[in-house]
Amino acid sequence: MKIKLSLLSIILLGLLVACGLNESGDKSGSGDKTVIDVFNIKVETTDQLNNLVELYEEENENVDINVTTVGGGQDAASALQAKFSSGEEPAIFLLGGLSDVEKYQDYLLDVSDMESAKTAIEGTLDGGSMDGTPYGIPLNIEGYGWMYNKDIFERAGVDPASIDSYEAFKEAVEKINEQKEDLGIEAVFGFSAKEDWVVSQYSSHFTAPEFNNNVKEAFEADQLNFEYGDRMKEYTDLFNKYNYQPILSLDYSTSVEELFANDQVAIIHQGNWIVPSLNSLDESFVQEKLGILPLFVGPENEGKIVAGPSWYWGINKKKDDAVVEESKKFLDWMYTSEKGKELIVEDFKYIPSHEGYDPESISDPVSKEVYEYLLNDKSRIWTNNQYPDGFFSEALFPEFQKYLDGQNSWEEFEEKVGESFTKMR
Amino acid sequence: MNFKSRTYWLFLLPTLLALLIVLIIPFFQGVYYSFTEYNGFQVSAFVGLDNYIKLFTDDQFLYSLKFTAGFSIASVIGINVIGLAFALLVTQKLGKVSTLFRTVFFMPNLIGGIILGFIWQFVFLKAFSGIADVTGIEFFKGWLSNTETGFWGLVILFVWQMSGYIMVIYISFLNNVPKELLEAATIDGANKWQSFWKVKFPLIIPAFTVSLFLTLSNAFKVYDQNMALTGGGPFGSTEMATMNIYDTAFKVQDMGYAQSKAIIFLIIITLISVIQLYLTRKKETEL
Repeated sequence: MKIKLSLLSIILLGLLVACGLNESGDKSGSGDKTVIDVFNIKVETTDQLNNLVELYEEENENVDINVTTVGGGQDAASALQAKFSSGEEPAIFLLGGLSDVEKYQDYLLDVSDMESAKTAIEGTLDGGSMDGTPYGIPLNIEGYGWMYNKDIFERAGVDPASIDSYEAFKEAVEKINEQKEDLGIEAVFGFSAKEDWVVSQYSSHFTAPEFNNNVKEAFEADQLNFEYGDRMKEYTDLFNKYNYQPILSLDYSTSVEELFANDQVAIIHQGNWIVPSLNSLDESFVQEKLGILPLFVGPENEGKIVAGPSWYWGINKKKDDAVVEESKKFLDWMYTSEKGKELIVEDFKYIPSHEGYDPESISDPVSKEVYEYLLNDKSRIWTNNQYPDGFFSEALFPEFQKYLDGQNSWEEFEEKVGESFTKMR
Repeated sequence: MNFKSRTYWLFLLPTLLALLIVLIIPFFQGVYYSFTEYNGFQVSAFVGLDNYIKLFTDDQFLYSLKFTAGFSIASVIGINVIGLAFALLVTQKLGKVSTLFRTVFFMPNLIGGIILGFIWQFVFLKAFSGIADVTGIEFFKGWLSNTETGFWGLVILFVWQMSGYIMVIYISFLNNVPKELLEAATIDGANKWQSFWKVKFPLIIPAFTVSLFLTLSNAFKVYDQNMALTGGGPFGSTEMATMNIYDTAFKVQDMGYAQSKAIIFLIIITLISVIQLYLTRKKETEL
């Protein structure tokens, strides 16, 4: 009996080990194909990316591309880190800013000889470069500012073109607020102060001029002094006063897909990435009603929006040479081949970050506007991507919410956030 | 059972191995990391007790511990009272209806925390504000937009989720109360109220040991519900300890520090659980 039992347990144990081995064996060997694992964070364009990958695989039968998408409420940066810690590093992945580049620098390939790096619009590589070496291919251009409803402005008798200063903007807001009932809107603003990233992006308008609109300077800064804090306070007080309440529990989807899309609020702080989801609700909204207004900050009080590449494709150089080669080919194809270009503007509806695209091919007016702001040098950088790790969600965001709720004075806000900035850097 | 027998150990071996790999080794690794500065990739410095010293001046962490404790007390009371009430209700002779009730009460427990969080977020934000718009009752306005409603929102969610589970435990104990004791009580002239408090209640004390232990430790470890419902907001005022630890580790990328928080948290949970087990054990009545 005893012998039988021990035999049995040995067999069981053996099975256990065998299972474990089998699993790891499966992954490495899948035919002669080169397997490229892509880690994607842009949830909005998952279908488009899968579609593009499929087309590419049809043309290149020796390549097998697996796309993993994480995002949309989940913490994408942690998921990526988890992939690396567990040894399942992807071959191509998205980098959010210079701190990501710094963190993964040991893994990142110098992309300077790639076609898609050479054709990138001047200056767009900066956000993915360390010591002058580019490590990332810009994904696209994204821009944000006050997105507004042209229709409501028109009915209220406000000409958006006449808004050329903060004072003019304030007047316009007050004018719309007075006619709230006639216009059938709930409030003028639909700022979603429940989302940390919205607050973080909003702060960029005021921190970019402090760092001279320079990505590298913002990344290396160990102090945030709120040089333009007074203007930030003015804007904040303005929208807090005329916002849909309770502002602290207003989330992205309520703000954009319910209130803004249904003409319930006139202005929200968002970027051109809301275009696809607005399109899915009502195609005519984006074509006829959507516009973007700049914020007036900085030494010259110039009206600018924030625009630039927010994400970069990085290639993992520690993978096999074949995988690295194919990864480079894939990204080059995506941004420089005719088919790829077509998909980028028409299917992804991205604002291209590369040269050789026809501006007229950008399908929606807002994206075109953003593109023009960028080309005319009327844009600020994505400072918020260069903040220290966790700074926006753990320090900036809670303190900002406290201010909105009236629990903190603006001075306390500036002081505490500035302190955390230095501590977390 | 002969503890020296070879088969005994052989049978234990797989479990012991598994425990060793997923529990014991990571635990000691964790203790080690808590003494270092670690970003998830490489250990950059050995800092001794610095992380632990920093803990006691970290207002947000101390606040989240307090908040978690408050949440646990409120939800442990809520879950056990409601769970026991449910159990009493479905052990009445109601025929088929009682089976239906059991299923319905148990159902929330089958739904994952994240989904529950989003369901209740919808209830609190959309349904409540809808009710407020129609009736004008102030109570239904602005849920989850301040600390108080955030707190009660979490408690309601967790009580709703766990009550059915705890109910099942109480049912099994209630069914085990000997019929003759209840009959004797009735013959002695005890009414329902008296026979519950004087006969049933003392006999189901062991159920409290189990239920309190389960609810207490689960309430302390809540994460997914917290994340999905309030996300710690507004201004981090509904952030529970687990969330604070997670954010320190994965958002601030300060793994070593997060690890030291986790160790302190572990010690607190262990202490509370041991004390609770000791106290309720003393109260148990033997038949």
